[in-house]
Amino acid sequence: MDELRAAIAIAKKDLVVLSRYRIAVVSQIFTPLYQGVIPAFLFGASFAVAGRVVGLDATVGTDNLAGFIFLGGVVTGLVAVCFWSMAMGIRFEMDAGTLEPIWLTPTRHETIVIGRALGGLVWFLISQVILFAIGIFVFGLRFDVGIVWAIPAVLVAIVGMVGVAYLLAGIVLLIRDANIFIDMTNFLFSTASGAAFPVTLLPLVVQPIALLLPTTYAMDILRQQAIGARPLFDPLLEYIGLITTTVVLYPIGRWAFSQAERSMRVRGTISQY
Amino acid sequence: MSLLAGDLRAFLASGKKELRIMRRYPMNFVGGVFWAALLPAVYVLMGRAYSGGSDPRAISAFADRSGTTEVAGFVFIGFAMYMWLSSVLWGPGTALRREQIQGSLEATFLSPVSRLVPLFGPGVSALIPMLFSFAVTFISLWLMFGFIPPWGAVLPVAVIIVVALPAMYAIGTLFAAGVLRYGEIGPVVQIVRGTFVLACGITFPVAMLPAWAQAGAAALPPTYIVSDIRAAVLGGASVGEIGGDLLTVVALTAVIALGAIAFFRVLEASARRTGMLGRY
Repeated sequence: MDELRAAIAIAKKDLVVLSRYRIAVVSQIFTPLYQGVIPAFLFGASFAVAGRVVGLDATVGTDNLAGFIFLGGVVTGLVAVCFWSMAMGIRFEMDAGTLEPIWLTPTRHETIVIGRALGGLVWFLISQVILFAIGIFVFGLRFDVGIVWAIPAVLVAIVGMVGVAYLLAGIVLLIRDANIFIDMTNFLFSTASGAAFPVTLLPLVVQPIALLLPTTYAMDILRQQAIGARPLFDPLLEYIGLITTTVVLYPIGRWAFSQAERSMRVRGTISQY
Repeated sequence: MSLLAGDLRAFLASGKKELRIMRRYPMNFVGGVFWAALLPAVYVLMGRAYSGGSDPRAISAFADRSGTTEVAGFVFIGFAMYMWLSSVLWGPGTALRREQIQGSLEATFLSPVSRLVPLFGPGVSALIPMLFSFAVTFISLWLMFGFIPPWGAVLPVAVIIVVALPAMYAIGTLFAAGVLRYGEIGPVVQIVRGTFVLACGITFPVAMLPAWAQAGAAALPPTYIVSDIRAAVLGGASVGEIGGDLLTVVALTAVIALGAIAFFRVLEASARRTGMLGRY
């Protein structure tokens, strides 16, 4: 119970800090819009024949371009929260010189990642609601009410991503130039999850890696339920893949984080960066 | 004359210093390879998804709007422009800000050289990342998608780059001057770069924009630069065929450069009054 209170306190602290930087708040809404959604939408629309994106229909079974892009944005946003808020957030504490005092509190160190996850997810939810509202009113975004059936898949994927965040936080604690590492791996993870295009278009050597990520299955289930996209596999198999990858990734992440923490204690690098 | 020679020496020293700093951070070049190769590659794969794996109707619709059926070439050339813009805005565009953060801007401004030296000097360094990203772009386009630019395009592209260099230089300088008034300009870099990406036909054909936005795009040099490089590489256009565009770029460059100098003079006077040079 104390750990839960600590996690909520960390989440609240993160949200308070974020709210103090109003330009950053606005930027976090509009940057994905003008750097991701609008260029992708106009690029996709440039292939349209008589107002229909027939190519997308042939590829995924629906010509709902706005739906395809905005739902991809959900997974991209979730991956970004995992990489930047949860994992890189630890690094920000390190840079600010506050990680050492936090480490000395009786709160378990794993709880710090959970707290950051909660704060990041609250902001993720708010930003997605705003982005979807913009999508509906500006880009004619439409999706099926069946999207609610994909919510359990997204929730399971979130658990899997917390596991990934533990793994990344462990790496971030050990390397010096974490910014470039997180930036590149965030992009690769999001791309391999099929957020921008179906994973079947990835090079053959990368496709097995895509199938090891919980977000690949969550992305597919989400698009299938919300816009009627053709799934990669039978939905039951996709749920099995999603749960299996989550069950495997979470303990691996926890183990990697505890190993990194142990290494930091031994080497005395907690206050170094 | 000796004053001018001194300024010239300081100008070269300023560029040399930026190059030396660049050499100290080799990881940035690793990032350059990564982004210059993979960002456009992802867009090409998006294009395959949107075109149904090259459905003739979809490709024909794209060609009507972009002037080419070569989607990979279109995208990679656009992203080469994106990387060039990024290196200009994050390099010379933020050089004065870096000096400000390091605490050396005030000291530089106390030296007897012209104020235009620290403003224009760092621009020299932008040549290296620009040439680097162009090389990575065309090599990865060849390795990943098998597209080899025709030899006949080398001369027109070289001419376009030579004409475009001062324009890009002027954009970076105009941007850099803003530091004297506003200090932190990181978020502005994102917005300005995003605006160029949306307006100049970097990732999608300009024809997709509404008419008012297309009129705005016509006032921005990158619109002509990227369009002319595409025309030369993908359409086989000669220097003569893109001559009109190049003259427009030269005219726009003059306007932007003069604007940057005037803007810088006004902001420098303001910074002297408010003491902004040493604050951030």
